[in-house]
Amino acid sequence: MDNPVVSDPAHTPEFLLELYRKMVVIREFEEGVKFLFLEGSMPGTIHQCQGQEATAVGVCAALKPDDFITSTFRGHGHALAKGLTVEEMLFELFGASTGCCGGKGGSMHVGNMDKGMVPGIAIVGGGVPLAAGMGLAFKMQKSGQVVACFFGDGAVAEGAFHEGVNLAAIWGLPVLFVCENNLYGASTRIDKVMKIPSVSARAAAYGIRGETVDGNDVLKVLEATHRAADECRRGQGPVLLELLTYRRTGHSRRDACHYQSRDERDQWAANDPIDRFGRVLMERGHIDGQGLEAIRETVVAQFNDAVAAARRQPMPHIDDLTTDVFAPAEDES
Amino acid sequence: MRFEMKMPDLATTDSPVRVIRWMAAPGQTVRRGEPLLEVETDKATMDVESVVSGVLGEILTAPGQTAAAGELIAIFEVAGSAAVDRPTTAPPSATPAASAAPIAPPAARKPGGMFARNREVAAAPATPENAASPRVIPLSAAGRTAARRLQESKQTIPHFYLQTSVNAEPMIARRAAAAPQKLLWDAFFVHAVAKAIQKFERMAYRFEGEQLIKQEADAVGVAVDIDGELYVTPIAAPAGKTPEQISDELQAAVRGLRAADPQFTRLRPARVTVSNLGGCNVESFIPIVNPPESAILGVGKIAPRAVVRDMGVSVQQRATLTLSVDHRVASGRYAGDFLGAIVQELESF
Repeated sequence: MDNPVVSDPAHTPEFLLELYRKMVVIREFEEGVKFLFLEGSMPGTIHQCQGQEATAVGVCAALKPDDFITSTFRGHGHALAKGLTVEEMLFELFGASTGCCGGKGGSMHVGNMDKGMVPGIAIVGGGVPLAAGMGLAFKMQKSGQVVACFFGDGAVAEGAFHEGVNLAAIWGLPVLFVCENNLYGASTRIDKVMKIPSVSARAAAYGIRGETVDGNDVLKVLEATHRAADECRRGQGPVLLELLTYRRTGHSRRDACHYQSRDERDQWAANDPIDRFGRVLMERGHIDGQGLEAIRETVVAQFNDAVAAARRQPMPHIDDLTTDVFAPAEDES
Repeated sequence: MRFEMKMPDLATTDSPVRVIRWMAAPGQTVRRGEPLLEVETDKATMDVESVVSGVLGEILTAPGQTAAAGELIAIFEVAGSAAVDRPTTAPPSATPAASAAPIAPPAARKPGGMFARNREVAAAPATPENAASPRVIPLSAAGRTAARRLQESKQTIPHFYLQTSVNAEPMIARRAAAAPQKLLWDAFFVHAVAKAIQKFERMAYRFEGEQLIKQEADAVGVAVDIDGELYVTPIAAPAGKTPEQISDELQAAVRGLRAADPQFTRLRPARVTVSNLGGCNVESFIPIVNPPESAILGVGKIAPRAVVRDMGVSVQQRATLTLSVDHRVASGRYAGDFLGAIVQELESF
């Protein structure tokens, strides 16, 4: 596949290298968590996003800090891209009370409202109507914020998708509907459940703009998100972005992934978003191969430190059982 | 440094995970991330990667055995502590201070449910159970598949049954001539069924969606029981093979099934299956069609029988054959002629 072309010369080398580092943070986080799961340290199952790093990083880098995202059960990448730390994520995955959701969310519900991420919504398509509601709030408050709503290709046949996108469309809400099309809804290939060739074509049915983007090219994702977010802020939203990407692991750690063919896996492995962007950075003279490896080593060392710390974190106490369950009612008298 | 590898929590329920094979032998060096063993969960077979780089010391769960998530399955010898992250004594400075007691490393834990594996848990009370006769026997994935398919067959396929007997003396003579090779009896029946299908082509079809569709695979299946697990192993293009060749292939297939080789355990289609209980002294039985096949031939034991010939009684080695047929594929008369053709083939070895 072609290397990306950057139309915006304002991107500084530091900014571009940070995009690269963020993708490596996500990749190494997911790889490390995989082994923690296999060795038995990590409870529950885990839905991972190796191969999809450019969608999370490209979208979140184009948002402002007070913009929001909604996420799914496959949300580790989104969270790290939106600014959550490796520590608050890992502690959450270990079930510790110092985790980003006090240890009550776990892998499928990571998030931090102070950093613009609603804790992951694990019901397929469930985030779409919620994002429409958030968009309505932003519009009524004239806050200028936008919400980017991540979902997979498996969500677009859900009734919630239609309801949420339609509502956002008729009310012109500032919502970026971001479909990470990784070709498989769990084990079902998208062409078995969708007649049209692209998810973005569905935008026409709602009278909104849709666009399909190479989701393994972080700069293309960044630019497409910039455009879409600008439209939303000008009152021309919502926008449906379809980011073409590929999941290099099973649906969850318990999925043997026999349904992905060897040829298809190899093709997408050759189209790895981190390798591709690394080559771009080297071609532009921003860094060399050794520099890229040094970034990776630093990221791995930081991850290992966070794991060691996670093993020492306190667990939630029984007294916390009913905290964080109800929000205090506002006094309307 | 010793590293204990435990069975990962790969099943979708709390059911144990069966080891199919190890891809490394004790003494071999394995790298973190390399496929180390193949397992069968309640849902699928999958490869498990090694979580450490080191020398595989001892395998504690042999192929065929099961282990619960968190149970010890292998011991490694790893160099230093760099091969896998271990808890450090001092918390790193980059992280929030935590005053809580350290969580025990996984090595100190017992399996204790899916949500408690990375912390100390009270050991579950042992439930005394006679290991020789457990109250519940969990079925393997293959066993569950066989159960589901058999039930579906018996409930949805309109079976009818035809019975006859065959003179086994030509087979006995051919078998004696093949010595010292020990010909499997099944080989004769597979060959005869294949030849008969050539004359009665409809038996090569399956019923599907209100029509008959030709079975792509030119194969005759043989029902095989491996330690209580039922398999149908297909013999490809058997009409063109000698009983000796078929017998060899069948023996190789049984070895493959015993070794749980996926090439053999995978479900593969045939046109008609042969099921032989002669070895268990069964005189005759009515087998269940193996979907989507058209019929199954039940073979009883070969035994001396009184035969009336030329108004005299003589003794002949004979076997009883029962053909169970999908009535949607064949009429009684058509299937009867098909069974007659099988008998004719068997009597002309």
